[in-house]
Amino acid sequence: MAVIRVEVTPKQGEGMRDVRGDSLRRQLLSDHAVSATEVRSIVGFLIKSDISEEEIAKRSDDLFTDPIIETGFTNTLAMSNSDIFPTAPDCVITIGFKPGVTDNPGKAALDGFHTIFPQATDAEISTYITYAFYGLPSDCDGQWLAGTIYNGLIQRALVSDSVACAAGTWPEIEFPERPPQVFTTPETINLEISDAELEELSYSGLLALNLEEMQTIQGHYRDEETRNLREAIGISPDAPTDVELECLAQTWSEHCKHKIFASKIHHVDTETGEDTTIDSIFKTHIMDPTHDMQKDVDWLLSVFHDNSGVIAWDDDWSICMKAETHNSPSALDPYGGAMTGIVGVNRDILGTGLGARPIANTDVFCFGPPDWEGDLPDNLFHPSRVLRGVHAGVRVGGNESGIPTVNGAIVFDDRYIGKPLVYCGTIGIMPRRLADGRESHIKTPTSGDMVYMVGGRVGYDGIHGATFSSLELTEESPSSAVQIGDPITQKKMIDMILEARDSGLITCITDNGAGGLSSSIGEMAEYTNGCEIDLAKVPLKQAGLSAWEILVSESQERMTVAVKEEDRAAFDALAALHEVEATPVATFTSTGIFHVKYNEMTVAYLPIEFLHDGVPQLQLESEWKSPQLESFSVPEHSDHNELLLRMLARPNITSKETWVRQYDHEVIAQTVIKPFVGVERDGPGDAGLIAPIHGNPHGIVVSCGIAPRYSDIDAGAMAAASIDEAVRNAVCVGVDVDKIAGLDNFCWPDPIESAKTPDGRFKLAQLVRANRELERVCRAYRLPCVSGKDSMKNDYGSGEGKISIPPTLLFSLFGDHPDVRYTATSDLKGAGERLYLVGTSKQELGASEIAFMLKESGEAGGIGGEVPQLLDPESQLDTYRALSKTIQSGLVRTAHDCSEGGIAVAVAEMCIGGRCGANIDIDGTGSGDIWGRMWGESLGRIVIGVSAGNEADFVEAMAGHSITLLGISTVGNTLSITDGYDELVELPVEQLVTSWQGTLDLTGGVA
Amino acid sequence: MVDTPKVAVLFGFGINCDHETKAVFDLVGGQATRVHVNHFINGNHSLDEFHILAVPGGFSFGDHLGSGRLLGNRMRFALRDQLHAFVAAGKPIIGICNGFQVLVKTGLLPGPAAGQDPLPDFVQRASLTLNDSGRYEDRWVTLEFDSNSPCIWTKGITRIDCPVRHGEGKFVLPDNTDFDMLAANNQLTVRYVDPATENGEGITDELLPFPLSPNGSMRNIAGVCDSTGLVFGLMPHPEAVYAKWLHPDHTRDTAPGPESSGVLGEWEGEGLQIFRNAVDYAKANL
Repeated sequence: MAVIRVEVTPKQGEGMRDVRGDSLRRQLLSDHAVSATEVRSIVGFLIKSDISEEEIAKRSDDLFTDPIIETGFTNTLAMSNSDIFPTAPDCVITIGFKPGVTDNPGKAALDGFHTIFPQATDAEISTYITYAFYGLPSDCDGQWLAGTIYNGLIQRALVSDSVACAAGTWPEIEFPERPPQVFTTPETINLEISDAELEELSYSGLLALNLEEMQTIQGHYRDEETRNLREAIGISPDAPTDVELECLAQTWSEHCKHKIFASKIHHVDTETGEDTTIDSIFKTHIMDPTHDMQKDVDWLLSVFHDNSGVIAWDDDWSICMKAETHNSPSALDPYGGAMTGIVGVNRDILGTGLGARPIANTDVFCFGPPDWEGDLPDNLFHPSRVLRGVHAGVRVGGNESGIPTVNGAIVFDDRYIGKPLVYCGTIGIMPRRLADGRESHIKTPTSGDMVYMVGGRVGYDGIHGATFSSLELTEESPSSAVQIGDPITQKKMIDMILEARDSGLITCITDNGAGGLSSSIGEMAEYTNGCEIDLAKVPLKQAGLSAWEILVSESQERMTVAVKEEDRAAFDALAALHEVEATPVATFTSTGIFHVKYNEMTVAYLPIEFLHDGVPQLQLESEWKSPQLESFSVPEHSDHNELLLRMLARPNITSKETWVRQYDHEVIAQTVIKPFVGVERDGPGDAGLIAPIHGNPHGIVVSCGIAPRYSDIDAGAMAAASIDEAVRNAVCVGVDVDKIAGLDNFCWPDPIESAKTPDGRFKLAQLVRANRELERVCRAYRLPCVSGKDSMKNDYGSGEGKISIPPTLLFSLFGDHPDVRYTATSDLKGAGERLYLVGTSKQELGASEIAFMLKESGEAGGIGGEVPQLLDPESQLDTYRALSKTIQSGLVRTAHDCSEGGIAVAVAEMCIGGRCGANIDIDGTGSGDIWGRMWGESLGRIVIGVSAGNEADFVEAMAGHSITLLGISTVGNTLSITDGYDELVELPVEQLVTSWQGTLDLTGGVA
Repeated sequence: MVDTPKVAVLFGFGINCDHETKAVFDLVGGQATRVHVNHFINGNHSLDEFHILAVPGGFSFGDHLGSGRLLGNRMRFALRDQLHAFVAAGKPIIGICNGFQVLVKTGLLPGPAAGQDPLPDFVQRASLTLNDSGRYEDRWVTLEFDSNSPCIWTKGITRIDCPVRHGEGKFVLPDNTDFDMLAANNQLTVRYVDPATENGEGITDELLPFPLSPNGSMRNIAGVCDSTGLVFGLMPHPEAVYAKWLHPDHTRDTAPGPESSGVLGEWEGEGLQIFRNAVDYAKANL
């Protein structure tokens, strides 16, 4: 088959412009201070088919070129056309994909090609992009320039430098041919080797299993009964096949089995003298409290065991939520890693019960500082590039899937340079009962059901993701662990599966994420106690994959769905309608065996019980000793005006609007509170609020809390602050505090003591303290954790240069809102609103944003001191309940969470949203000094605004709770803050706006 | 005369506003069904079973090769006769956002020039291209409608607020005389306007700055109709403001809505009237 090249470039002039090129020009200016006068772009297609050049050229305007706005070229390089490109540029760079990397434009082009040339069934299309740079600085190196825009892990780049350009020599990229894969017959691995050799086998094979686990596997194959059964079925009796060893490594990975949370921990507190053993922090501090709460309420339908936690929302609908992290892949390829993160968690929702519909996303990112000027370790991207890539991946994944992003946060700290955290969450909805009477949150598989693989195909991409994420990042991290999502293939699959669910065709469903088919079918096989898979039936992206690769590949956009024999025809017909590939690859059995075949050959024969429960419990050591930190001491002379403007510009406080506005937050026509609110729609929203049933004002609140820097003092306080922040944000929009559910997503540095991690005991003690606080606060708030996840190896490198993230808990919350017509937003609603502080300020400045700012600038010595504590969560809940009711009744329309930057920042943000001034007095708001009351981050505080007419009712409704009158919103556009007679701040609101909006606007201008 | 007009709301291949588009037609007295595009292509359903066709927003085929292009091609090649017959029968079609892009790429919009055979000839005459900002954005805009437009969808509507959510919404025509012809026939149905202008006086040909015009669209065009007024497309999302509680000003008690009480009582949003117009038109004329 011949390869035909088609190139397309935007027309210029008469109002037409090359926007793609111009965006890159502005990005170079913003990120690298490299100024080019012009950048032009060319999109290229390499079409491998039996269709002739003439035929393709004739139909190019029907498919590749939009004749109104573009000029197309067939089998000639656009750059060589002197009418279109009259002058030689300084540099030309062409970027294409490496072989085997997902090429979504190529896939779409192929689909369109088949519309026009249906006979071209074997065709393949690969795409690329070419940029021509004009007016570059003379010292700008072409290879360096290429390095700023392409990722060598997944892409190829060809460069014509100024000399080549002057000579008219342009890059001519070729079709990325995949190297042939060689199918290797499953091998038998000899485990009768020394302990050292077992460890080496685990290490070199990327199995990520420790010695005890390797020995447990060794022991399994020494068992007489096992050997007899294996002999009878015709598989190596006394040694695992590579398929089995890989399958066990995936299933037993930290990523899948959460071995640290399940471990037995010997915990010592050197300060209190405590010396105890904790048998599984997950069971003790997360699962048991939720199960206790489940006895008291009737709305906790499904917790922990499914892909997401499910709660009853009303009589007709249930809702569910799940959050995941995709940290390691996002470090290697920010765009692809983050995109697979968001579309992956969407599949968790689709795989809940008998299939829920994803209706809202949340995204929380932790990055290094975007303006970082220090050194970067090898193989790591600059934080601004990570931010751009992750943002783009999540944007494309969410927007193209038609799921609104309703809530999120971006947090910055130097230590996230080593590993960015990319949390992606999704809320789903499903009818409580299907037409056939089954409750949708309960899976109903039976032995004999056919198991389909639905959606994408299996490829070499995505091998070893689960085990890889269970290791620290190194320079040699494998590129096969990186993938790019394909949202449209997944969207088609979601449409199809929801129709299949409503037709009653699904008995069981789960997603294919970490561990691929070995995990998805393996987990579902627990229901019927057995399955038989034929790997030869699995559709492949390319021939030649070996059996173990097919079993563990994490290729994206796949669901595993069980269907009764009699429903197969209907299921197949739906798949055909939606143009979704659905292939039966397995059958549920009740043999007790995870039985894998390749055609007739048995390649794995593992008892379900051993596969799922065979992993030995880790025994870990934990020792707490408070970190010794220099205390935060306030500067003697300070101008609070100047401090406020600097604080508003801090990356952790500044507006993220230019980024967030690029997410579709309103598709589905349900989003009541947008991420940005107020007169100019640019004030911060506290929580997402959606009304997903059209025409009905019944709502769902979505919020989050994250406070990683408190871990510098105490990870327990960090956890309590995260939970309180999530609840506080939800209260700000009027959540029903008696129907809220939470998700705990822990991201930790490796807490297992070893040569690589000498401080493992301390890091584990941080985990213990965080979980103890999680239990204490959640029990007091009657806030069940219904789902969660942990990612426990967030370190880069080892030894001297090792970078460990601060222990980070993201707490996500979803809850009920009785009527979205009565809610509140943070913007001041005009002059004359009475402003109250709900809650009390204490002298809690330890690890606060002001402490970090002044330490970084050298104005303060340290960040140590009193970190915010939640001393009485029971009465706090009562206050939240009372406040939420004043919002639900329409008394209060203005409320804003008080967190980073304290009251000063909270009120400033309310002024920004309302484009309205305020006079406030912080005297009497708490026991601390001016700094504590102005900048302190004490928990449990919300600033509200109430109209003069509603004030008396508000005060009465809040009787018995701590509220303090702060002041009033004003006609003048000035924020004035005093402490009694001391004037602290006097600033025009427009100046607040300017400071708050500048820092993260990395757009390089609008156009 | 039809009591309850049947509305086909297309879905599949990445269309993603199908649920809310169905909902708004149902709210105003239509009977809407989400129908997969392939049902019409395979012959399981025929367009003539329906009175109104809606092509909702979304990311059909990921907008690769240009927004709306690939879905537009499927319709142009496989549904040509059905679409021609639909317009010939006097039935309304709306395309919103990605749906507008699809209708432009199929040639249904702006369609043949006034004075010629007005039925679809499937010739692409305009395009929607990347926003000047280079960014996909979700933001609220103010729209004003040409009160003399033949468009049956926009009768009696002067101004509404609603969100845009697109990366390729800049409407372009190859040359100015094309604009003048469309303008003369009042087919430049809806434009982005500055909300500070007086109601009814916002429309201007002068390019508005970002973000008043979110995309740099020529003559600030947000949507156009064909010369029959039956086929209408626009980039913004009127279905996303079917209720006042979806308007960003609703906690400020200043969210605009219809003067008389609507289907949601005092909570009906401004966007619903567009869909009611088509349902009422179908009731009166089909």
